[in-house]
Amino acid sequence: MEIAYALEHPVKLRLRLRAEGLTVLLGESGVGKTSLLKALAGLIPASGQPFTGLRAEKRPVGYLPQHFALFPHLRAWQNVAFPLAHLPRPARRPKALDYLELMGIAELAERFPRQLSGGQQQRVALARALAREPQILLLDEPTSALDAATREEVFGGVLERLRGLQIPILAATHDQWLAQRAHRVAVLTRAGLAQEGSAEEVFGRPATLEVARLVGFRNLWEGTVLGLQKDRVRLETRLGPLQATRPDWARVGQRVWVGIRSEEVFTLDGRENCVRGRVRHLYSQGLRLRGELVVGEVGLDFLLPRYKQAQLGLAEGRELEVALEPRFLHLIPG
Amino acid sequence: MDDPVFWQTLRLTFEVSLVTTAILLLLGLPLGWVLAHKRFPGKRVLESMVLLPLTLPPTVLGFYLLLLLGQNGPIAQTFGFTWAFRFEGLVVGSVLFSLPFALNGYREAFRSLDLDLIQTARTLGAGWRRVWLEVILPITWPGILSGSILAFAHTLGEFGVVLMVGGSIPGKTQMVSIYIYDQVQALQFGRAAEASGVLLGVSFALVYLVRTLEDVWRLRMPSSTR
Repeated sequence: MEIAYALEHPVKLRLRLRAEGLTVLLGESGVGKTSLLKALAGLIPASGQPFTGLRAEKRPVGYLPQHFALFPHLRAWQNVAFPLAHLPRPARRPKALDYLELMGIAELAERFPRQLSGGQQQRVALARALAREPQILLLDEPTSALDAATREEVFGGVLERLRGLQIPILAATHDQWLAQRAHRVAVLTRAGLAQEGSAEEVFGRPATLEVARLVGFRNLWEGTVLGLQKDRVRLETRLGPLQATRPDWARVGQRVWVGIRSEEVFTLDGRENCVRGRVRHLYSQGLRLRGELVVGEVGLDFLLPRYKQAQLGLAEGRELEVALEPRFLHLIPG
Repeated sequence: MDDPVFWQTLRLTFEVSLVTTAILLLLGLPLGWVLAHKRFPGKRVLESMVLLPLTLPPTVLGFYLLLLLGQNGPIAQTFGFTWAFRFEGLVVGSVLFSLPFALNGYREAFRSLDLDLIQTARTLGAGWRRVWLEVILPITWPGILSGSILAFAHTLGEFGVVLMVGGSIPGKTQMVSIYIYDQVQALQFGRAAEASGVLLGVSFALVYLVRTLEDVWRLRMPSSTR
């Protein structure tokens, strides 16, 4: 589905994007993600395609606010039957049960929302949204109200079920995990739509510094293009001379930002782009080891499997050499 | 209880209170909604005006109403009818005087309603009529009912406003509270005690009902405001 919308209030926003499969609208809070979803649902005034001029109750969208907004006075199946008012009364309950079944929670039909967990509430709300027979699902921060420990499992299961339905999903989030599962990602910043494309494209080749930070590049430092080779560029950077894959826009003498993901800082010896520094912070993060390597005046954030600690004798204050593989170095025009 | 005037008075008091409560419901629900959820210039002025009866001496309110609704008042001169010293006058005074009580209940009920519920209901195909009947009212009814009961109870015991606007004509505009006062003035303490006892019993029952509704309300709300 092609979306072209212009909003004036509460944020000024003008954008065009394509929603297919799971499309994630990534951005920090306050940039207008929720507003865009509400505008699409017809809940705040906006102009654009599709659905323009239709009142909220006439728009074929399934809208899920952050806390799912189940009607507290209705049982799960009655919630799902709410959009089925056009059916004769006896037909509503079986139809509602079908939708609950579709989300895998038919056994919860008689429960009230307060008797359901966050993940169960979300499924009821999705069943209810689907009962509307929407042309698009609009999900506002779908993972934020879920228990952090289980949300990947819980929402992953939901995504599996939604995948078969062929309904495009537009999800507003600042959750990296969700964005990485998306087919398409649209990055929204205060200046508007910063980048839109496949998840691979946006995560691997962020177009601007801001997008790079949003999609998880912790390491970004400045450099200058020294020379161009067939598929490589030579750079002088604050980390020293480096080589990187050549982007087609690169020119000799150009200022660039060089970025690498923490998990792509490897501890290999004798390869290109070797960088030596001193380990400053070192702490475990889940099953991995996160640390900062100080090279000159730049801090390089790294994330290593924890067995490396014993293998390399890693400790704060020790020297360490890492290799920054040229193909994982991402360049952004400065 | 042997005084036929008492029964007339009690009946009138209940009639005034019922009509007043009904009008407050029609007037107060939209007003409560607007005060709970809309922002507009002059909102604070409006809020202050509807709260004014709480602090204003009832006689002052009654006095202005008497001027407004009396024989030479602007209403009589423009529209040609006089509501002072009549049932209608009692109702107008009671509506204004009990408005803050009803409105507080309605406004709090609406304020604690999660607006996502309404917006979501609309995206699910419900027009405003269904949104009110199937979402807003079923969720907020304990608050609405408790506001209405408070307003009803408050009207039952009204004195100053109804004395000024109604003039305490026995059987016509005399309410129970004024009846009690008159009996005391006439040293009929037995009658005053009986009438007072009836008001005490009714008022306690009503306030007890409101407290019960507040608990019902508290049980309902956590699931929608989470």
